Amino acid sequence: MIKNTPTICSFCSCGCGMFVRTQDGEARGVIPSTTHPVSQGRLCHRGWNRFQNLRSVNRLVKPLVREGEGMKETGWNEALKLSGEKIKDLIGRHGPESIGVIGSPWLSNEDNYLVSLLARQVIGTKNLDGSYRFGAAAALSALNQLFGEGIGAVGSIPALKESPAVLVVGRDAHRDFSPVGSRVVQAFQQGAQIILADASAAKADHFYKTLIPVPADRLPAALAAKRDIPLGVLDLLGKPGAGLVFVADQLGPSASALALINYLIERRASAKDLPNLLALSRSPNLRGAWDLGIRPPAGGLNLEEMLAPESKVKGLLVFAEDLSVHLPKAALLEKLKKLDFVLWAGRFKNDTAKLAHVVLPLPLFAESEGTLTSCEGRIQLSRPALSPRGESRGLSEVLPELAQALGKSLPGGPAAAIRKEIGKAVPGYEKITGPEVESEAGALLAPPRLASAPPKSAVLPVLESADKFLLLIPNTLYAWERNRMIAESPVLYIEYQAERPALKMNLQDAKDFKFRPGEKAKIRSERGELQVALQADEGVPRRTLVLSSHFLNLVESVAGKGEIDPVTRSVYFPSLLVTVEKA
Amino acid sequence: MDRYILRKEDVNRWVEALARTQEVLAPTRVEKEIFFAPTQMAVDLNLLSGTATLPYLPAKDLVLPHSENLFHFTRKGGDYELTVPEEKKTAVVLGIRSCDTSGIYWLDKFYQENFSDCYYWRRRNNLILVTMACNQPVKNCFCVCCEGGPFLDSERDEFDIQLVDLQDSYLVECKSSKGKALIEANPKLFAKADPSAVKTREALEEKSRNSFQPDPTSYMSTAIRRITSNAVTPETWTELGEKCFDCGGCAFVCPCCSCFGVGYLNEGEKGCHYRFWDSCDYSGFTREVSGHNPRGEKGERFKRRFFHKLSYQYLKRDGRIGCVGCGRCITACPGEVGMPTVVERLRK
Repeated sequence: MIKNTPTICSFCSCGCGMFVRTQDGEARGVIPSTTHPVSQGRLCHRGWNRFQNLRSVNRLVKPLVREGEGMKETGWNEALKLSGEKIKDLIGRHGPESIGVIGSPWLSNEDNYLVSLLARQVIGTKNLDGSYRFGAAAALSALNQLFGEGIGAVGSIPALKESPAVLVVGRDAHRDFSPVGSRVVQAFQQGAQIILADASAAKADHFYKTLIPVPADRLPAALAAKRDIPLGVLDLLGKPGAGLVFVADQLGPSASALALINYLIERRASAKDLPNLLALSRSPNLRGAWDLGIRPPAGGLNLEEMLAPESKVKGLLVFAEDLSVHLPKAALLEKLKKLDFVLWAGRFKNDTAKLAHVVLPLPLFAESEGTLTSCEGRIQLSRPALSPRGESRGLSEVLPELAQALGKSLPGGPAAAIRKEIGKAVPGYEKITGPEVESEAGALLAPPRLASAPPKSAVLPVLESADKFLLLIPNTLYAWERNRMIAESPVLYIEYQAERPALKMNLQDAKDFKFRPGEKAKIRSERGELQVALQADEGVPRRTLVLSSHFLNLVESVAGKGEIDPVTRSVYFPSLLVTVEKA
Repeated sequence: MDRYILRKEDVNRWVEALARTQEVLAPTRVEKEIFFAPTQMAVDLNLLSGTATLPYLPAKDLVLPHSENLFHFTRKGGDYELTVPEEKKTAVVLGIRSCDTSGIYWLDKFYQENFSDCYYWRRRNNLILVTMACNQPVKNCFCVCCEGGPFLDSERDEFDIQLVDLQDSYLVECKSSKGKALIEANPKLFAKADPSAVKTREALEEKSRNSFQPDPTSYMSTAIRRITSNAVTPETWTELGEKCFDCGGCAFVCPCCSCFGVGYLNEGEKGCHYRFWDSCDYSGFTREVSGHNPRGEKGERFKRRFFHKLSYQYLKRDGRIGCVGCGRCITACPGEVGMPTVVERLRK
């Protein structure tokens, strides 16, 4: 008999309500909840196929420890004992700051809370960060600057359909997050003005009134100059309920994100209204991880600083995310490989697990109980529909034991008990202990409160040149095709084709240059040059080139060391002007 | 065709009798959603009859589940041992609505032409369909435009039993031998229907047919003509496709959609072969190994879907369209391009 367990989708930050359908201990299907305020009977293709990755055969099912070049299976006691000894040894020789701890938006609030306690109280290190350092940290820092700690419920997906105007930054924000895209379509049908800002789109879908062909980092300057924007459209962005939709994973740098959000806030007609801000993410608990303190406290190193060549960090405890796919520079990956000790706790076999010294298997969201905070600021309960696979165990059991191996203690026990601790300790999360969390719609964080003196930030000028091409380097470190949950679902694996390491160029431009398919081009910027195969693409605008940021060596050749975002203290690659010629 | 009267207070006694020898699946709520779930008695009569309250998933899920294991394999020396999961015994589906019964009838045709799909048929042959005619359609219903309801034609062979809600009792229309066996489980509960009950049935059907809300689906024939004569412009398909999110939801909730994909789950020396719902919305549905995709654009895929549903299937194959008018695609579509919206757009 099929069992239907009501729970939350864990594919992205929207937080759709769904039923996971199981039979004989196997996931067999899903359906959306029709009464959940976000899903309302609808899912995206990831949600509809979520049951497939619950059946993955590439799961970690036993603790592993390094033995020579390979890994061998071991028991939990041995793995935790060894981890404790290694950590104690490093602390004894180099001090607690030789250890770094990486939490994750792929962990529940309860687990992230324990990870942050492990770092701060058990190990005593300030080197605590999230795997989102090179992505969403920029946008979240901007929200922190505007709304203070405990950002609050800054957006509402259902309310977006009532918006008079919506500014969508990057068409992925509409297409890839269907609960949000759906409300954008509904708003359009009700007469709203929908604006798309996307420098990599040659044309916009019919429901966009305006296309602003400027990259996100330069958008505030374009808006201020009212470039390419019909009169009156921008005024609507000041009306109550106006929406700003963007993918937090790729909005950076922080100053641009701040200027963009500020643009809407400053235009609002009434001081009591705030715009509807939807900072979307390709991970399910971005807001929760950030709010629960998965970021460096004052004096602590962030992920990039921990992996810098001169860093004193010798050991890294990495939770739930394949770190190796999120590093923007080859040197960081090299440093990760050379650390004295890497503990990796996660769900799937991957490259980070391969270089770890100890690997601990964790259950999936559908195999354990925990809360997730959506992009709206909605805390929802993810309920277990399946038993943990193999010998995998939740962090609420594992971390107290690890703490014990280090001669300290950590609260553990059932998720509800940890929620009580969170309710007392984390500002804004008081509701996490109440019955609302267990209701279908979850508990919304408090409404956001604007800082008394919202900070200003300088804006980057729009890049223009009559004789050069604009090279866009979109942040693809967090792209869907690099997400393991996609790879473990046969239908989705086919949907999200891995990109080829090539430079995308407008089809007509390629013809004008007489480039043959696959022929190499030489592009040159002020920072470097690169020879790379071209890929003609009708969807790319004229005189624009697109190079995905996860092709690290290619990007570093033409963009050098990139820029350091002073707020997140991490690298990003701004768009550049380049010349193009045949190689 | 035999017609009986079953008093509403006797329904649970009937279910109790049926449940002694087979599984009885009836509409049941889990949280606020409705699923067909096994029941011993105490059927919720409000879900069973009255206003059309459709489960989110059509009963297609009972014959073609979202995913199913086809066979397990284990390496034995140089060979493999194969085992096929056992299928459960007979089940009565009580209260399946007309549209969903039509959908299963439609799938029956698909899964027997050219190739008889044993996995489909071993489930299908075990099901006995007790259909509930709809006296009162709801907002999204348009079965009246698609030969999917609100009542099923008594002379057609889609159902085993059709129930019609006569307020205090049900008119029981029984055609098949499987249906007759259900009545014989407790024949004392069934009285022969008199001609006045048949007259009431006709009046109820007429009333139900007239109570559909004014709806663009009345343009179904125009849409079929335009799509078949290639009168729909590529720009229209592009515009419709731009609203599609490629979620696959419309295909998954469609009682008529029959596409599936297959995969292997292999762990060391053993594993299983399974199949799962697939959707023509997906770009990977027809992409070739070379990377070329004959339906790479969303508008192209949208055209294929509706050409298949409204033209190819209708004209060339079955003499009826690939839609039963249940309205589930309206509920499931994030882009607001369910069947009625598309039909209205196509007629212009």
